[in-house]
Amino acid sequence: MNSMELPLVIFTVLSQAAIGLVIISSIRQFAAEGPAGNVRGEWLAALVLLLVGLTASLFHLGHPLGAVNAVKHLSNAWLSREAVGVSLFLALVIVGFFSIKDRLSPGLAALTAIIGLVALFFTAMTYAPPGYPAINNALPLVFFLLTAAVVGASVSSFFTSQEKIPLLRLILGGSLAISLVVYLTVPFVWLSGGTVMHQTGIEYLTSPLYWSRIIIGLALPLAGIWMSRSIPAWIPALVIIGEFMGRIAFFSLTLHASSNIGGL
Amino acid sequence: MRKQLGFYIDANRCIGCFTCAMACKNQYHQDIGVIWRQVYDLKTEIYPHRERAFYSLACNHCENPTCSNVCPVKAYYKRETDGVVVHEQEKCIGCGNCIRSCPYGAPRHNPVLRKAEKCSFCWERIDSGLEPACILSCPVDALQLIDLATFEEPNAVQYPPGFPKFTSLNPSVRFRVAQSPTVIRRKRL
Repeated sequence: MNSMELPLVIFTVLSQAAIGLVIISSIRQFAAEGPAGNVRGEWLAALVLLLVGLTASLFHLGHPLGAVNAVKHLSNAWLSREAVGVSLFLALVIVGFFSIKDRLSPGLAALTAIIGLVALFFTAMTYAPPGYPAINNALPLVFFLLTAAVVGASVSSFFTSQEKIPLLRLILGGSLAISLVVYLTVPFVWLSGGTVMHQTGIEYLTSPLYWSRIIIGLALPLAGIWMSRSIPAWIPALVIIGEFMGRIAFFSLTLHASSNIGGL
Repeated sequence: MRKQLGFYIDANRCIGCFTCAMACKNQYHQDIGVIWRQVYDLKTEIYPHRERAFYSLACNHCENPTCSNVCPVKAYYKRETDGVVVHEQEKCIGCGNCIRSCPYGAPRHNPVLRKAEKCSFCWERIDSGLEPACILSCPVDALQLIDLATFEEPNAVQYPPGFPKFTSLNPSVRFRVAQSPTVIRRKRL
């Protein structure tokens, strides 16, 4: 992984964490009985995560001051759409944060969650280019949705009331189980693809980073939830570390099509 | 069909001398590590003689260029007159999206300017009635300038083995594949 991609790792994980947090917050407030919890603190956390991620994304650019020009190609470029989508989401999170009293209005919560999902979709399309055959498909969308779900649900546990912990355990446990299946299956599916896809599968399966991510970020938190009736504080920490490891793997282990020019 | 300039790469003639790549370097004096034209040797699973057949590749000036499609600041445009894909570097913000997206690895990162750059097809030379530097320099005529609107070569192929097949981009290159050499063995006495 080159140095330009570390800001992308930070941006994608933190922006998806913020989107996940907002979505889980909205579900938690309105989909279960009991006190809403610290909704204001939760949206502040989402705002901070998003701002840190956006700041990191500027360091990815060779010329950060030109970032405002990135919205010029909305007709074709997913990156332009991503910039608009994430900016809209940021604006809605700020409005939401300042309008929270005890709870947030359902309409604003739903709108923010939907715009967050749209922004996540644009991000996924940006990172599914033809140059990387293994991820030139729906996989980035699946990976990013799972990141939003596991980080959102685990971080949300800091802000929820005790009555709603079972709901969060259900969401987090389910998301972790699905993530485990997806991340264990995908490299083997790649093995059945073309040369570059196959090599990407080999890169993953022989990488200590990939297996560490499976154990630290998915298996251990899942086991922790299984054995505990709550969500202990170490679970969100492991989940976030695991997502960062997984994203570094995403950017560094996926092979570019040009790496095989001259070969079958 | 509208005029579309492209490269004809005769892998049967190419001897892998890198003169084309050096001519490109002499013409534009790219910064260290930045390569617009690269000569790739064919692996033995394609051509059974190691490092004896080559593809000299640069930007393919695709009909549907992904670099242009993904660029958020519209730093690329395709010339109406001849289909050449031009990168306007002064507009580039160095996001690297074109570098990630092009499956042929044509746009490269310039670490000095912190921007992308790629083969320009020597459009300034073409506008002056000259050939691109790489084509002009080839000592064995393995690189040729073609117009796909009028190009008729029945044995030419667009996606030979060893060249990534991305039909949605429709790269403006045609190849003549390398023939296996005649093996002459000494007769037994």
